[in-house]
Amino acid sequence: MSDGGKLDLTLSEFTLNKLEEVFIKLKRSVWVFHLNTGSCNGCDIEVLDVLTPYFDVERFGIKLVGSPRHADLILLTGPVTIKTIGKVVRAIKAMPRPRLVLALGSCGVGGGIWFNTYATLGGYPRIEKILKDAGVEVDRIVYVPGCPVRPEAIIYGVAVLLGLLQPKSKRRRVSAVEG
Amino acid sequence: MSHDYSELIEELSRGHRSRVILSKILEVCKDSVLDLSRRNITIKVVIKANCLRTALESIYKEHDLYLRTIAASDERSREGFLKLYYVFGIDNEGTNLVFEVPVVEGVKVDTISDLFRASDWYELEAHDLLGIEFNGRQMSRLVLPEDWPEDLYPLRKEVSVEELKKMYQPQLVSRVSELEVEEVVRIPIGPYHPALHEPEYFELYVRGEKVVDARYVGFMVHRGIEKLAESMKYDQVPFLAERICGICGFVHSTSYVQAVEDALGIEVPERAHFIRSIVLEVERLHSHLLWLGVALHLLGYDTGFMHAWRIREKVMVLAELLTGSRKTYGIDLVGGVKKDIDKDKIPKIKETLNALKKEFKELVDVATSVPQVKARLTGTGILPRGEARAYSLVGPTVRGSGLARDVRKDYTYAAYHYVSFKVPVYTEGDNLARTLVRIDEVFESISIIEQLVDMMPGGPIKAEKWEPQPMRLGIGAVEAPRGEVIHVVLTDLYGPYRWRVRAPTYQNLQAVPIMLKGVDLADAPLTIASIDPCFSCTDRAVIINLRSGSVKTLPIEAISRRVRRNG
Amino acid sequence: MVKFLKMLSISVREGTATRKYPFESPLVTPEFRGKIEVDPVKCVGCGACTRICPPKALTLGYEGDEIVLKYFEGRCIFCGMCAYVCPQKAITISKEFELATWELEDLYDEVVHTTVKCRICGKPFTTVKFVKEIEKRIDNKVPEDLLTVCPECRKKLTARKIGSKVVGVSGE
Repeated sequence: MSDGGKLDLTLSEFTLNKLEEVFIKLKRSVWVFHLNTGSCNGCDIEVLDVLTPYFDVERFGIKLVGSPRHADLILLTGPVTIKTIGKVVRAIKAMPRPRLVLALGSCGVGGGIWFNTYATLGGYPRIEKILKDAGVEVDRIVYVPGCPVRPEAIIYGVAVLLGLLQPKSKRRRVSAVEG
Repeated sequence: MSHDYSELIEELSRGHRSRVILSKILEVCKDSVLDLSRRNITIKVVIKANCLRTALESIYKEHDLYLRTIAASDERSREGFLKLYYVFGIDNEGTNLVFEVPVVEGVKVDTISDLFRASDWYELEAHDLLGIEFNGRQMSRLVLPEDWPEDLYPLRKEVSVEELKKMYQPQLVSRVSELEVEEVVRIPIGPYHPALHEPEYFELYVRGEKVVDARYVGFMVHRGIEKLAESMKYDQVPFLAERICGICGFVHSTSYVQAVEDALGIEVPERAHFIRSIVLEVERLHSHLLWLGVALHLLGYDTGFMHAWRIREKVMVLAELLTGSRKTYGIDLVGGVKKDIDKDKIPKIKETLNALKKEFKELVDVATSVPQVKARLTGTGILPRGEARAYSLVGPTVRGSGLARDVRKDYTYAAYHYVSFKVPVYTEGDNLARTLVRIDEVFESISIIEQLVDMMPGGPIKAEKWEPQPMRLGIGAVEAPRGEVIHVVLTDLYGPYRWRVRAPTYQNLQAVPIMLKGVDLADAPLTIASIDPCFSCTDRAVIINLRSGSVKTLPIEAISRRVRRNG
Repeated sequence: MVKFLKMLSISVREGTATRKYPFESPLVTPEFRGKIEVDPVKCVGCGACTRICPPKALTLGYEGDEIVLKYFEGRCIFCGMCAYVCPQKAITISKEFELATWELEDLYDEVVHTTVKCRICGKPFTTVKFVKEIEKRIDNKVPEDLLTVCPECRKKLTARKIGSKVVGVSGE
């Protein structure tokens, strides 16, 4: 993040309003808080892996902090179980603006294999409405699929969130043809 | 059973111990025993609820009998009753002893939580999820939230998931339950930790610097797995099982397929057994290295943490090469596995293991010679051997207290009977003993994998055909890095009728308050972590001074590091 | 001698262990399971993959007159069972894992099939390619009059045929 090197640093296409300027300033260093909403731990140990020497995300200035009040970015794993909803809303509310959220793994993006049980909500998209109703605004959200998420995919996700890389996924619709 | 039962006992017993135990049961309860049968290593006793306690009172003093799990099941549509299955193990013989108890709805069952202390949580869970009542004990909510409606039991067959979702709306307001205790400072530890693991909540009651008691409120990760499996097919459930825990997931999926294969009598090809054993041991390696890193981090030795995880990375790459994914391998199917280990991968396996052996030995030599590590691990968090046996604990927790209990030797499965290895046991019962058990197990695992790779047979990797039958009981037990995992399965035509999962931490967590008594506050996080909870519980701590009402927050590392060097 | 200082020599020997992704390519083994690709030429819309998919990331649904096979990358657990069971071998597993995006809609891949309409009730019930594949695979042909009849109407037809043979009720 400090210098481009061989990587092509294209900025995102969104219009540069005030919030975007803040994001650019944030490129100096992002402090993250890890929020586990009832996941199996697979994505969580990959988050921890990202801090270890092999992937070493601290070379970008990203640091893990102990309280959401100090954090810029929340790493959300897990399908949001019914017992943790209140705590998740409180943790996200405790973040100062701008609030950035990275929803990790198939649980965080779409509820994963738990998308239809009585004890889970079904990932970040379901709790988005609850957050809005409680008056908690989230400024930027990026979804990272994977089960579990590869550490490289987490780094890629953070780079997409900060506008350093363009996402590759695009909706595709093709017609089935004869052989 | 009015006729002479001594012949029947002879026929059913697998050895001297089961003969003795069966004779004792039939002596006190012969009129209430409805059926006796055996299949493979499981002896099943169908007994009426009113004589269950008497039967167990006659055998609970047997030193090699331990309670492994209690599964409750709703069979009112098939057999007209709710049922309770009490699964015991006879260690020296490797026999599963199952008591099947039909329960009439509304009639209370006698508790056995004073005889077998491990049954406490199982009875609470049976009540929460199926509505079975127990008399002689206090009931409280364990698994479901406090504000879950009464009389709504998720695992009953007439209730569907849609109905459950409609009838319970989760509230945003978090409830705080206060226990008024005077003159002690209450320190809640939970539920979000900066360096990962699941949300758990421990309350430590502290006088001065010593912990006097601990309370545990958990199950934040209850996701409704068992209800979900009842709507799935046989081959989809291994993927669900693997995501019960991301660190020891393959153990759960192997345990499930073993339970189904036990219930239906499926012949699994030898090569599949070998592949499963190799991947199980690879998982044990990664899990112990992970734990060692976290333990060193909690002690303040971050260099050790980084090096342990650097070494662990080699194991993750090896796992990806063998199975296709760094974690949640996804290769188990009922009847075998779906991915083979080709010959050209074997040199890579051996190369990785050699490098691992060398580097791990270096790391252990250095880490155990660091003064703060040795001083803080020795003599703290003592678990006496008598308590370990009384609570039916499992895994390295109990092997550090002198009990040689290991499913790979006692109830052997997969390809373990082909290899020779030893089970490390230490007798001191403190944190250092549990650490040394895990370190020794890493070297044993490396040796096991080398032996397995050398003698792998050829052949198919999956059974060709198998027929599902309804309502057969199967038990699968596997030794996870944390202890014994046991799954109980009742089969149906397309998928499981009832699936009961019991992870080792469930059994071990009940003993944490004992280990924490008398421990210095600074050693509490490490003591909790020394049972290697599959949900780590160390967290940000909030210190509330009850008298002055002031609230201070500290990161948990700060508590850990407030160490007092005592000699 | 303070043994723990040996750590310094270990660190010096190992050097920098970091793999400098994204400035360097990630270490991915040839077995890695990433996102799946559905071949629109081979896929016939039978739905075997949708029945085995544990999180229901693959779904087969009607959109007007067409049947659409939808793949939601967000919920995929990358288990590879769909590729394992596909009878046409139309699903391949790629090594793609860089899937992050802020638009949930971008995580969908769809294959659109044209349908066959039931000749009795007029409702679409299966894909054209599936009917052709069944014809190809079954040697003694499926009777023409049953090939384009939906399951509901087929039940009624069969019942009427049996009825007419047994009781003498005049049927179709």
